[in-house]
Amino acid sequence: MTVSAKVKQTLASLKGVQATLNLYATQTNNDEIKTKFMEAVSATNDIIKDLEDRVKVLEFQEPQYKGY
Amino acid sequence: MPEWLIILILAVSLYFLTLFAVRVMGKRQPSRMTPFNFVNYMVIAILVSFMALNLINLPFGFIALGVWVLAPIALDYLAIKSKRIHDLVYGKETILVKQGKVMEENLLKARLSGEELLRALRSKNAFNVTDVEFAIMEATGDINVLLKSDKKPITPHDMEWKVSPQTEPQTVILDGNIMSEPLANMGLTPNWLKTQLEKAGVALDNVFLAQVDTSGDLYIDLFDDAIELPQPKVKELVFATLEESLADIKRCALDTNHEEAKNMYSKNADKLEKVIENLRPYLLR
Repeated sequence: MTVSAKVKQTLASLKGVQATLNLYATQTNNDEIKTKFMEAVSATNDIIKDLEDRVKVLEFQEPQYKGY
Repeated sequence: MPEWLIILILAVSLYFLTLFAVRVMGKRQPSRMTPFNFVNYMVIAILVSFMALNLINLPFGFIALGVWVLAPIALDYLAIKSKRIHDLVYGKETILVKQGKVMEENLLKARLSGEELLRALRSKNAFNVTDVEFAIMEATGDINVLLKSDKKPITPHDMEWKVSPQTEPQTVILDGNIMSEPLANMGLTPNWLKTQLEKAGVALDNVFLAQVDTSGDLYIDLFDDAIELPQPKVKELVFATLEESLADIKRCALDTNHEEAKNMYSKNADKLEKVIENLRPYLLR
């Protein structure tokens, strides 16, 4: 597995987790749980953004793996 | 009017009158009654049974019944308003064990033998008297026990653990019927429930009971116990995936030779680690 594929995989599972966290944050009636999950969602958002930028750089460097 | 008809009418009307009177007198359970409450109910029962059989003069019976129904209501009201009347009517609680020492004179006041005290303590799971810091006999005769702090069960607070707050679960399906009010309390719709059932692959008719917990996970119990249903494990899965992602990012940081990328990866690994620590109580506990 190439580096960019590895990063993309991590990116995908993080996005999945973020979606689930978002779901929990919306579902709950408890304010404490809601804020905690919302914080986690925004933190993962930052991480996802950084990883996406990295993927772009990697794709630029190794265009033959683009799209995988 | 024939006598049997009189008794029939009397019995039926007194039945509902007594039902109403006892309901008005309060919700106290028989086990929570003081001895006098018990006497009160007994007197009402006897009065009513005599009246129903037409054994006593009806107006006199009603006067007596009125007194025995209204006096406790009035006393209850006064007792709520005044502590002194409350103590007078219901009696005071008696301290049986204080600072680990049995108060013998109070035991005598409560007409309790040592054996009875031991039995009461045992029923509260205090087999050793040394484990008991404080025991009290309530006015109703119940004995409540405070264990010494080192003998109390450990709570998350003792361990300084953070745990996720939990509210009461709502029962959303009972006997194959969707309960709309609890669903609305959770802010969910019948459509959501139907989707969840479809996801689990069960028919509504087959569901005996379904509960939604604080986080919105659905627990389902089926009439057909042969069918194995997976229990909700989404939170554990989310936690595991987060940890997996953390490991991946850390590996990326090790693999790369690019200085800037390395910094970016380790910064994000730290960030994710913090997220995981923050979420641990809410996802696992």
